[in-house]
Amino acid sequence: MGRGSRVGMSAFVAFIVGVAAILSLLLGDNPALFGEQPGSDELARRLALPGDALLRLVVIIVAVSIVIGIANLLFAHIGRLAQRKFTSAVLLASFGFTIYWYVTRQGDTSLLEAVQVPIESSLAALLFLSLAQGGARVMQKRADIWGMLFVVVVLVVLLGSLPLAELAPVKTWSDWLMAVPVSAGARALLLGMALGAIVAGARALLGQDRSYRG
Amino acid sequence: MDDTTLQVYSLLFLFATVVLVYTARFFHARPGRRRRQRQIAGFEQIPQWTTQSIESNRPLHLGFGGAAVGGDNTPTALAGAEFFHQVIERSNASDASPLITMSAPATIPLGQDTLRRAWHKGDTLSRARWIPPDLAYAGAVTASMAIDEPTAHIMAGRFGAELALMLDSASRHGQPSLAVSDRLDGQAVAYAMADHVLIGEELYAAAGYVAEDAPARADAAVLDVWRVLILLGAAALLLLEFSRQLAVISLPLVAVAAAVLVLLGVISYRRR
Repeated sequence: MGRGSRVGMSAFVAFIVGVAAILSLLLGDNPALFGEQPGSDELARRLALPGDALLRLVVIIVAVSIVIGIANLLFAHIGRLAQRKFTSAVLLASFGFTIYWYVTRQGDTSLLEAVQVPIESSLAALLFLSLAQGGARVMQKRADIWGMLFVVVVLVVLLGSLPLAELAPVKTWSDWLMAVPVSAGARALLLGMALGAIVAGARALLGQDRSYRG
Repeated sequence: MDDTTLQVYSLLFLFATVVLVYTARFFHARPGRRRRQRQIAGFEQIPQWTTQSIESNRPLHLGFGGAAVGGDNTPTALAGAEFFHQVIERSNASDASPLITMSAPATIPLGQDTLRRAWHKGDTLSRARWIPPDLAYAGAVTASMAIDEPTAHIMAGRFGAELALMLDSASRHGQPSLAVSDRLDGQAVAYAMADHVLIGEELYAAAGYVAEDAPARADAAVLDVWRVLILLGAAALLLLEFSRQLAVISLPLVAVAAAVLVLLGVISYRRR
């Protein structure tokens, strides 16, 4: 089979599977769509089957992909070790030792908790500092009205979250900001992303995505 | 609105999108046809970064974050892959293969496939790297900034507040960044800390801005059409609501005001 035929075939399969899945998910399990006719329950149930089967396949594939992820990580670090980058040896040794510990101690995760949790906690603390620093640098990066507005809103919301009675008016502003402009902006962003997702989904559904176009 | 009506509307909306995608692709495929796109500042640096990558033989770092194939953010992962494909194609003259990172294991095949299709010099398997999610991802990417010394970072996918660690580190290493996230907290961090930012749906139109690819440009045009239609609808509904509450406002006046508002919106939209 030539490359062109392969591309055409993969686009065709994507189209068939995509249309079957979307019709199944939209029309399945809803007998009301088919009126009061006898057998509409059975028809709706049967229409739901392809969608359910495909979703179960996705769950299985996602579960298997975790193994692929771990393999990818290990191979990348073995490759780095071969290039004499010895920091990767630490990762590989930690991986092996953690597995050994878990197997020989019947599922004991104390090692993970003793190492992983403090490291993640310290990274989270660092994240707080980075965020604070980033907030302070906004005016350097965006010295315009929007940057100024961003900083003012951050300050009002931060002050409003303090448990001080003297700051009650600021809390009122903060609540209003969160309930009205922030909520409206967030909805606008989510709406835009939903539109983008629909266009990207339609492209994949039609077999027009890059993966199918070759 | 009951489930049945909602399903029918969903089908109609999807069908309309499919029709629009095909129509836009048909018009964009005509020879000599090149639609003028609105300007998005975030994309203007990409040609410069790809040139720097070629001249300095340093890789570009392209990050999917937590965007996952098979999850609720599959379109985000696909849009990111399309965007990265166009960026990688532009940097093909470089000797340093771009580095793609992701924290969702299901995105590894997508990342490797993107690199394989767009990068013609091999070494594609080892350059698509999975890193455990969230803070571990931020930590590993931060470490790679010192080791791989990327020319620039393009983070397009799903990121949360941990994006701040990566952007802060990139800034300290003097490595420019472009970021966009489909999560609101990540988007806020991107706006505050990235050198260049895309907002929301601009990620889905990104490929059409980076490439001369007619289908990608057509998809960006479809997004714009939907956005204008939603703006028009929202403006019309708002003004109709006002006209009901204030008896002095007549429908012709409302129509004129709506037209002026939309015109102003379009002008500011194109100037962005």
